[in-house]
Amino acid sequence: MTRDEIKDVILEIIEEIDEEADFDNLDADAPLRDQLDLDSMDFLDIVMELRKRYQLQIPEDEYPELATLTSCVNYLEPKLKDA
Amino acid sequence: MADYQLLIIGCGLSGIAAGIRAARFGVKTLIVEQHALPGGLNSYYYRQGRFFETGLHAMTNFASPGDKRAPLNLLFRQLKLSRKTFKANQQNHSLVQFPSALLRFSNDPALLEEEIAQTFPEAIDRFRVLKKNICEYDSFSVKPWKSAKAFLKQHLENELLEHMLLLPTMIYGNAEEDDMDLGQFTIMFRAIFQEGFFRPEGTIKDFLQLLLQQFEQFGGEIWYKKPVEGIEHDHNRVHRLRFADGSTVSADHIVSTVGLPETIRLTGWQTDMQQYVGQMSFMETLSVLRSDTTVSSRERETIIFYSHSDSFHYRRPTALFEPQWGVICFPDNFQGLPVKTEPQVRVTNAANYQHWCVMSESEYEEQKKRCAQEAVVSAGKIIGPYEQDIIFQDSFTPLTIERFTRKKGGAIYGSPVKLATGATPWENLYIAGTDQGYLGIVGSMLSGVSMVNAHVL
Repeated sequence: MTRDEIKDVILEIIEEIDEEADFDNLDADAPLRDQLDLDSMDFLDIVMELRKRYQLQIPEDEYPELATLTSCVNYLEPKLKDA
Repeated sequence: MADYQLLIIGCGLSGIAAGIRAARFGVKTLIVEQHALPGGLNSYYYRQGRFFETGLHAMTNFASPGDKRAPLNLLFRQLKLSRKTFKANQQNHSLVQFPSALLRFSNDPALLEEEIAQTFPEAIDRFRVLKKNICEYDSFSVKPWKSAKAFLKQHLENELLEHMLLLPTMIYGNAEEDDMDLGQFTIMFRAIFQEGFFRPEGTIKDFLQLLLQQFEQFGGEIWYKKPVEGIEHDHNRVHRLRFADGSTVSADHIVSTVGLPETIRLTGWQTDMQQYVGQMSFMETLSVLRSDTTVSSRERETIIFYSHSDSFHYRRPTALFEPQWGVICFPDNFQGLPVKTEPQVRVTNAANYQHWCVMSESEYEEQKKRCAQEAVVSAGKIIGPYEQDIIFQDSFTPLTIERFTRKKGGAIYGSPVKLATGATPWENLYIAGTDQGYLGIVGSMLSGVSMVNAHVL
């Protein structure tokens, strides 16, 4: 997957989790949590969805890697390069 | 390999929520239910061609779709249900009525505050401080038991007002007698007085269908008429469920929503069961009234919490049941609902399980009828007599509740001692629902969700 494709997947997953998510003014380098008003249960859903789709195991101590859209892409790029 | 990754005992609201949550992420899940219908306490039935709901008066925790942090909306996100397309009918308004005072409240918290300012001017500043402290109280971290009564007394110094605020919060969710844990009280206070009452559009049957459809769409399975008779286990782990018909099914994880006492019985768990048996049970009398009745149309109130005395004792009555205080619910009186031609009135009063369970069948029927009459007379003192308008009547006793929920002693709010972690002596058996600690329909569903999040996913 390319970086752009990974980005789309993340946004798609968030949109599925939260029907009210508004990406219009999303800053890729600022925390998703604050911008989209996500809580820790929502974050768990992103992790679970990645596991379901790509059999990706993300250990709990690596959750901070998913803080911003850019950090998500950086973190997932090597893991999803063959997906 | 086990037959299923997850087995859930009980197709009530907490079980279904747990099921949806697990199935959503591909966990192979089976719910087993002893009855032919889903819903547990909150189910439905037909009599003489009429449709009736069982447990539901109203759902608490109303929240508009935009409010992301609200428990109701959090629940919908967790279950991947659309909150935007879900239609909720909010209450008109409700009352707390004692002989010396009456308070109105609605889903706008300002109404209760105005009413208290008017009726208890000396206490309004104190009430505002109380409300602020409740809002700031962290109800979800595990804390030692604290007295809600002492908290109220310390804040309000007004016995009547204290009782009037305790009646709704206790009667809609307190498993303990005499007092209530402060954490539980703050949850109920917010659920009732800050967020408020609503009904899902349609009936409980439609709501259950919405949930079951979601569960099945994610690949979940349900077996009805499968009463569980035992949970087989070794030292550390549970392995399978044994049914009344002798068949078994195995699983990696089991979630039990039948309450602690029943789970103790099913596993042979060596512990003091008695501390987990709730003493509070209720009798409910529902009446369908003639179309020309004047009773329900007065102010179209949704729910009336009443006491015929200025104080009330929240405990198991010594007699069969206690008509001195209770709840009157008009299930048709919600915003946006058409005025029903044959309106319903439901009256709920505390009842004593011990007395009900030792009666012969004929005595049971006779006492049920007598208590129903007394309940109607008691409620009639609040809303005006309506005995003459009744065209159909039915009642549920603590035995009915026990039969449909497996909650020992008919304790609808379960054990007075909650099991916050849901963990049992077996590493892959968990408790969800009322005995885990969240209350009400939204609460018990969130319990199912959070137990699956914590232990299964």
